[in-house]
Amino acid sequence: MLPSRARKLPLVLVALAAFGLPLVVTSATYLHILILLFLYAYLTTSWNLVGGFAGVLPLGHAAFVGIGAYTSTILSLQYGVSPWIGMFAGALIAAVVGVIIGLPTFKMRGAYFALATIAFAEGIRVMFENIDHLGPFQINGPRGLQIPPLKTGLVHFMFADKEPYYYIILVMLAAVLALTWAISRSKLGFYLVAGGEEPEAAQALGVNVARAKLAAMAMSSFLTALAGTFWAQFTLYIHPKSVMSLDISFEIAFIALIGGRGSIAGPVLGALLLRPVSDFSRIYFGDTLPGLHLIIFGVVLVLVMLFQPRGLQEPLTRFYQQAMRRLSGGREAAP
Amino acid sequence: MKVLEIKKVRRYFGGIKAVENFSLDVEEGAIVGLIGPNGAGKSTLFNCVAGVFPPTAGEIVFLGERTAGLKPWDLCRRGLARTFQIVKPFASRSVLYNVMVGAFAGTARRSEAERRALEVLERLRMVKIKDARAGNLTIADRKRLEIARALATRPRLLLLDEVMAGLRPTEVDEMVAIIKGLRDSGMTIFVIEHIMRAIMALSDRIAVLHFGSKIAEGTPQEIARDERVIKAYLGEDYGAA
Amino acid sequence: MLFIIEDTLNGILMGAIYGLAALGLTVIFGVLKVINFAHGSLLMVGMYVAYWAVLLTGVHPYLSLIVVVPVMFVFGYLLQDILIKPIFKSEKEVREPITVIIVTTGVWYILDNLALLIFGPQYRNIQDNPLRGKMLEIGEMMVSVPKLWGFFTALATALLIYLFLQKTRMGRAVRATSLDRDAASLQGINQYRIYNIAFGLGTAVAGVAGVTLVPFYNIFPTVGVLFDIKCFIIVVLGGLGSIGGALLGGMIIGVIESVGPQFMTATWTEAIVYALFLAFLFLKPSGLFGVKYDW
Repeated sequence: MLPSRARKLPLVLVALAAFGLPLVVTSATYLHILILLFLYAYLTTSWNLVGGFAGVLPLGHAAFVGIGAYTSTILSLQYGVSPWIGMFAGALIAAVVGVIIGLPTFKMRGAYFALATIAFAEGIRVMFENIDHLGPFQINGPRGLQIPPLKTGLVHFMFADKEPYYYIILVMLAAVLALTWAISRSKLGFYLVAGGEEPEAAQALGVNVARAKLAAMAMSSFLTALAGTFWAQFTLYIHPKSVMSLDISFEIAFIALIGGRGSIAGPVLGALLLRPVSDFSRIYFGDTLPGLHLIIFGVVLVLVMLFQPRGLQEPLTRFYQQAMRRLSGGREAAP
Repeated sequence: MKVLEIKKVRRYFGGIKAVENFSLDVEEGAIVGLIGPNGAGKSTLFNCVAGVFPPTAGEIVFLGERTAGLKPWDLCRRGLARTFQIVKPFASRSVLYNVMVGAFAGTARRSEAERRALEVLERLRMVKIKDARAGNLTIADRKRLEIARALATRPRLLLLDEVMAGLRPTEVDEMVAIIKGLRDSGMTIFVIEHIMRAIMALSDRIAVLHFGSKIAEGTPQEIARDERVIKAYLGEDYGAA
Repeated sequence: MLFIIEDTLNGILMGAIYGLAALGLTVIFGVLKVINFAHGSLLMVGMYVAYWAVLLTGVHPYLSLIVVVPVMFVFGYLLQDILIKPIFKSEKEVREPITVIIVTTGVWYILDNLALLIFGPQYRNIQDNPLRGKMLEIGEMMVSVPKLWGFFTALATALLIYLFLQKTRMGRAVRATSLDRDAASLQGINQYRIYNIAFGLGTAVAGVAGVTLVPFYNIFPTVGVLFDIKCFIIVVLGGLGSIGGALLGGMIIGVIESVGPQFMTATWTEAIVYALFLAFLFLKPSGLFGVKYDW
């Protein structure tokens, strides 16, 4: 264990740097890339609550992004409800949906849950692509919904510049990381890990494994949907392919798995490593070498699973701790 | 007072009669041993008692309450803890973490769970290895971890499923001392064991299971003299051992 | 009324091809107890191999089987040996390692995007082949000839696999491993070699499915995704690990897809298929024929 000051100081520095970054990075393109990076770090951290700690493999989280994006957008376009309120309405719906998927599938092991989440997410996407109206709500099928940039300002969750979006997603990321940290140290966190690793033993120790997983699923879907609203307000245009595609679900899972699922740093690390690969290869090779970043993702994923199955956070954390120990003058004895 | 009453329990798997009409009472503060050849139905009986699956017929009463419909976690919270014959540590986590999972059965507070876990580790003399990864432990330590986790739930009744299998003789003696210590502090213990020396030294009463049926019950001395037991289970070699 | 019979018939034929694709998945699952997420991509690879074989030599599409089957078998064999075997070895006690799902997902992404890189996004098809667009007239009904070929190929493949598993020494070793891998190893069966063979076999079957599609279907890098998800649905419907279930499940999907559009927009039928899948998953996860797994 590191002395607590040595652990806190870098965190404070990183946080300060993150808040100060827009002062240095003024290019709209780079800011955009950073915003997407934090958005994916946020999405992956939310995914990690169920995919990492609970030891299952959800592959349909795009559905929750979509539910969040559509709910707040419909409420704001048709009823004039502020996206901030719509955000939580969407999150609640997503949580309920998450529980409905989890209820029958958490009793089964492994692949069935992964398949159910894929099928569910794809089912929702197909449905949204095929209908113009969902009850009284206008969806517009594959054409999606455009959010007219009429009123800007914090109340309307709409801004002319990118900086405010940057700060909003940064705060969201910080909050979800803090929440994950708190959960990982709580009874629920212990129960999730125990139930994920050895369900039978966990049950004998008083853990209602299915209920713990459901709680994690509800939170994870809730948090994911919040990011859906952010996505809608940031891009001002959503359609089923943009907010519900299987690729989003897989990218989230890939980032978590490569970074290290079940750890707090893993998702952020994964996003830091993979998002730039994705953005820059799209910018520079998008026309000549389409799909290059996905090949890189796939190769990295396979290699990490073969050689470092608990993700890249493990060797990096070890390296970091050694470096910190050396920096603190070796006064802290090795554990 | 009877902590556990097993009344005419049967458990069939398809056509196989794993347990047939088994009855047994476990008195508070006693150590009751359950022995029998491999495949006699001992673990099946334990699983019924612990709520893993319900008995096909009969009933089980724990602390005066019928356990029908109660799941393992419900029973654990009512004061019943068990270990597994094949140990199941949460391998990627530390010993302390493992034991804290058990401790959370009685408290939602992390600090309290940690305190209770350390108390148990102290008692089992495992504090030194509290930060070790559970997956890296020796067999003996894994077995002790299995007990430590169960104890951290603060059970009234502890079911021990072959916690001494695979241990060296000195480790067996240590384990016998630990279990006796638990009983002396007021816990009731129901134990499956293969190592005859240990079970004879430990138990106040012993039940013998053979092909799913109870063929004898009594004090260790009575069991050692029982003709049916010697024939059915201990075989001709026992006299020589 | 006639058109419904016609659609049902064509649906059954196309469904048999779906079933054939799913058959490969179910063979792999039956033995390794893992779902190969790259299955659709393997089918895509099989389609490209067949496409080039036919285009370069000008032979009948079905003759490309001579190339496709061995190439795909070796491909699958090596894939399992190099990428998946190490996971089984390091996670020995895990019955169904999630890591395998993840690695095969990685393979899916690599293969699909490699195909995109190499062959480009355009749709390809073999205009000039003896099966293309052929129709068989039965009374007033029209039945697609290439699909009819596919249907019989599916039946023949299923029969061959059944015979292989039941009658050959190797097949018995495969079945023994699928029932109890530990017991099989104790009997001197090299379980990892069996895994390689099963994976090779499943991949070869995906290749055969690819060949049946080539005469009438478009070939493009992400064509596998369509079949991937369909195959998952089919194997769950029919029961994971069941040969007959795969064929039947495939035909059910085929019929829904081909009759459905008479009553609703074509894309709604897709939603119905997903709903059916979820219903099965929730109500009868063991499928129509499957063994009930405790998972």
